[in-house]
Amino acid sequence: MIKKLMILGVVLTLVLSACGPATTEAPATEPPATEMPATEMPATEMPATEAPATEMPATEAPATEAPSGDVVKATPGKELNMVFLPKFLGNAVFDEAHAGALEAAEELQNPAELQFLAPATGGEGAKQVEIITNATTQGVNAIMLSNNAGDQVAPAAQAARDAGIAFVTWDSPIPSAEGEQVFVAQVDFAETGQVMADMARNILGEDGGKFAVLSAGPDSANQNAWIAAMEEVLAQPENANLELLEIVYGNDETEKSTQEALALVDKYPDMELIMAPTTVGIAAAAKAMQDEGLCETVKVSGLGLPAEMVSFVKNGCSPEFALWSFKDLGYLTYYLTYMIASGDLQGVEGEQFEAGRMGTYTIEKDPTRDVGLRVLMGPFSQYNADNIDAAVSP
Amino acid sequence: MLRRLEPLKSWEGVLLVILIGIVIFNSSMTPHYLQFQNQINLFQLHIEKVIIALIMTFIIINAEIDISVGSVMALAGCVMGYLFEKGLPFELCVLAGLLTGALTGAFNGFMVAHVKMTSLIVTLSGLIGYRGLAHVLLENRSVGNFPEWFDRLGQKPLVGPFPFALILFFLLLIIALIILQWSGAGRYVFVIGNNSEVARYSGVNVRRVKMTLFIISGLVSALGGLLLAARLGSIRGDMAIGTELEVITMVLLGGVSIFGGTGSLFGVLLSILIILNLRNGMGLLNVPGENQTGVIGALLILSVLGPNIWLGISESWNRRHVQRTRVGEEEKGG
Repeated sequence: MIKKLMILGVVLTLVLSACGPATTEAPATEPPATEMPATEMPATEMPATEAPATEMPATEAPATEAPSGDVVKATPGKELNMVFLPKFLGNAVFDEAHAGALEAAEELQNPAELQFLAPATGGEGAKQVEIITNATTQGVNAIMLSNNAGDQVAPAAQAARDAGIAFVTWDSPIPSAEGEQVFVAQVDFAETGQVMADMARNILGEDGGKFAVLSAGPDSANQNAWIAAMEEVLAQPENANLELLEIVYGNDETEKSTQEALALVDKYPDMELIMAPTTVGIAAAAKAMQDEGLCETVKVSGLGLPAEMVSFVKNGCSPEFALWSFKDLGYLTYYLTYMIASGDLQGVEGEQFEAGRMGTYTIEKDPTRDVGLRVLMGPFSQYNADNIDAAVSP
Repeated sequence: MLRRLEPLKSWEGVLLVILIGIVIFNSSMTPHYLQFQNQINLFQLHIEKVIIALIMTFIIINAEIDISVGSVMALAGCVMGYLFEKGLPFELCVLAGLLTGALTGAFNGFMVAHVKMTSLIVTLSGLIGYRGLAHVLLENRSVGNFPEWFDRLGQKPLVGPFPFALILFFLLLIIALIILQWSGAGRYVFVIGNNSEVARYSGVNVRRVKMTLFIISGLVSALGGLLLAARLGSIRGDMAIGTELEVITMVLLGGVSIFGGTGSLFGVLLSILIILNLRNGMGLLNVPGENQTGVIGALLILSVLGPNIWLGISESWNRRHVQRTRVGEEEKGG
């Protein structure tokens, strides 16, 4: 008994001592002044530090600070700790985006190392919350998120904003836009729906046919938006003979995507196409159809990475697919985030900025969501047997 | 001198040394670790599991196991979300969620205590079945936009810097400590875990104890599910997947025997602190996700092997110590 009381005592002392320095140190909700480039900014641009927790200074900037209409250029050489947080690790497209961000980091001569952090698998979207919270504790200057947890990240993102951290999403936004300053959209989401419907039309022919969608996770905001946009296109009378059977979710895991694709084949014998708006899903489905010898009856299309799709294009399993450059997406995201974190940009509607080699972009209202701002990258590239070799040659 | 080190020879002592090591390592590696807010976050990010680990300690000491806790969390959350979506008053939905947990617990308990099925099998079917029901209710949707007080409860501090769930954890910890370590009911839990036949013949109502434990486990899991929903602001059928493993890791690493009968909440508290501080440290040091999973996996192996190996070491040490003492006494006597 005494032994146990002793242990309890020691543990409590430990916990208390761990909490002890709190009063002397700055709480995490207050951005550490030394790590913020506050001195290089007009005082009025930094309401984040004193603002009450619920206020979002970036979007509620006073009218006097309305963008002047000039194209803002980045001030290179500032030391900004930035976190690049994709949906999960080990996916080639996110590695490409990371490469793009690193390229921008070098151009902007940011001496701080770019942190590349993410959950280990696509099925653990909620772990992004933990990474955001830890980054907030570390007092980083900016977080760049490809959201894989729907609105579940919103509280953590808002806490990061309250701590004065620049918060930009890319690839996949926060649906409610809570805690997010700007979303860097790869392509127009409505256009994605149109492109997917067009590819389905090309593959299935004028007489139409039945197809299913193999998506990423049920909370992947980008995929959900694209599918919704595609359903709108499908609802038009000229597409009446394109029938969407079901939407299934492979969680961006190869094994689960393969299982879901094969389950679709079993369930719908008259299905002619699997549309996968995710690079993991399309490659898994194409491989499954190839391995099962089904490529003659069931085609695969959607959004894919050229390097992963070459063989499937050539053997006819996936005659056509589309994508944009993830490297450019990472590059543009880094430029925008750097400029917001450094104070060059405020992250409000109408601001124009120059993103290095990619040229000039504008922050605008996001028409695909009820709220939120976006920067639209574009355009789409469509790949087929004619251009796939050129796309993968270095 | 050696006597004073005696407490350190127990498994709890080993855990304490490990914990101190982790705390020293973390605080020397990153200045953010000791920040007050980080210490709160460290609990808050895993608070549901930590709360469930308390009741899991009782269940494993009682020589049973409940691996359905993660699925019960999801089911309770989904029942609440489903009813809320249907337009019921939110307070009623919360009650329904908690009731769902208690019912699943009662079912588990009934199958274990009265039908005499192995708890591993019963709760394994629960793990699959309750999760399935959760998916049936919400399919692939996620439900959110709960009343503000609910989100606030999960995301904002309640008293001073302390969030509701953290305060709740410490209250439950104190209650659990009193019951398990110092009350008659707690002694029954140990006795049954050691040998339920003997307990039954000595007049302990084994069925009632087991039934009660499983009902509380269901209820606490449901509570965990609702706390998670409040913390994340939305509910989905696949929330809290894998929780059972992390909870069981915490309990086993704490020195509770998987065969029942031995263990203490002190050990579990230490192991909880070890796991949370380790994860937090790795997070702050930007250790990649895969490596974090690997470290936690290694910890699970340690949690099963560790206490047994340690028991062997300390027993052989004791034996030698006793022999030496005896030799010394004989020499004195001669």
